[in-house]
Amino acid sequence: MYLNHFEYFAPKTPGEALDLAGRLGNKAKVLAGGTDLLIMMKEKLLKPEYLIDINEVKEFKGISYEPGEGVVIGAGTKISEIETSVIIREKYHALHQAAGELGSAQVRHMATIGGNSCHASPAAETPPPLVALGAKVVISNISGDRELPLEEFILGNRATALAAGEMLTKFILPEPAPKSASRYAYIGLRDAMEIDAVNMAVNIVLEEDGRTIKDLRLVMGSVSPRPLVSAEVPAILVGRQFNGELVEKAAKAASGEAKPISDIRASAEYRREVVAVLARRLLKETYAAAKGV
Amino acid sequence: MVKQLIELEINGRVYEIPVDPRDLLVDVIRKKVGLTGTKKGCGQGDCGACTVLINGAPVLSCITLAIACQGKKITTIEGLAAADGSLHPIQQSFVEHGAVQCGFCTPGMILTSKALLDKNPRPSEDEIKRGIAGNICRCTGYKKIVEAVSAASETMTAEGVK
Repeated sequence: MYLNHFEYFAPKTPGEALDLAGRLGNKAKVLAGGTDLLIMMKEKLLKPEYLIDINEVKEFKGISYEPGEGVVIGAGTKISEIETSVIIREKYHALHQAAGELGSAQVRHMATIGGNSCHASPAAETPPPLVALGAKVVISNISGDRELPLEEFILGNRATALAAGEMLTKFILPEPAPKSASRYAYIGLRDAMEIDAVNMAVNIVLEEDGRTIKDLRLVMGSVSPRPLVSAEVPAILVGRQFNGELVEKAAKAASGEAKPISDIRASAEYRREVVAVLARRLLKETYAAAKGV
Repeated sequence: MVKQLIELEINGRVYEIPVDPRDLLVDVIRKKVGLTGTKKGCGQGDCGACTVLINGAPVLSCITLAIACQGKKITTIEGLAAADGSLHPIQQSFVEHGAVQCGFCTPGMILTSKALLDKNPRPSEDEIKRGIAGNICRCTGYKKIVEAVSAASETMTAEGVK
């Protein structure tokens, strides 16, 4: 399984990287972790003429937290760094959980958070929690930056809003609201190295009383070409006091919204059932965690 | 394509190697450097047989470009034993616990275990299983492997070995 021939660049600064991206355009691919890209190249699904390896660009990496503002995560940050970050674990727990479930120890040390969104697999682990947490992405080219909510960046299976010459450089997550919590769950054939049959993230914000739902996001993965943000679950729960009956109604609604396909990993019917199970479980877990804050 | 001369530091020794940008680290280590302890299994990053340590972290050498490893410290299974040939405590423990059957997954298992123990010197059984979940053994020998890693963690902690 040889790769096609390509020219290799390893820029050291954001300016050099973006200049190369601008000059080489669609003939180039960005090499971050390589855990998806090199496999697609081995399978001849991609044959880039140039690879721009961004691993030497320090400015594209790291997690920086500003109290009251939120956290900025460089697109080149390794999944293992996200998994072990104390700030991510304490304030953006669903992302911490998803990072810990991605691939294997080896894959987590190689793969990056930016790559996981740019690869735009419908079954990717980190986009659902990022969307649930209100993440925006920073898209850069040589002349400047633009920002998009992550749900508008991922357009479909392997499709993103990146134009030629652009690179995803950062994720911006707002400071979590008081009395809020987020959780992630998935179902797959095994724990490591599987591709999720269904995954899901929930973010709940409670009112001062600690019982009424002020805001809620439920995002499903692997049941639609891109992360599916539930419209019906917030409509059922926001402004209401949390109770078992509403959770049942919400779980059914989420299951109805899912648009899964049948494939080698699961049937559409099974996926719809699992959506209801995960929704019920996650809503309860997340509510309990938000109450405890 | 023109070959480029790169320097790779493997097990503390620097090798000057002509590579094509598309050359994979596993092939360079095995064919150009001649260290065949690193195994090539699935070639897709799924099985863990090709695991090497790069700056201490476990990495899949079958989906890593050799040219991207310049200036980094690469450790292969050949780099674990001491200069006098005495085995690293993890290797010794694999031998003592019968954690090796056909041996194909063993280099990757041991290097992944080393990275785990470097970070978490006394892992629980579940933490060991989770740590080596990306290394597949087709002889179904996980029980002895987990026992070997657990015993190695005790020896290494007691002796203060890295």
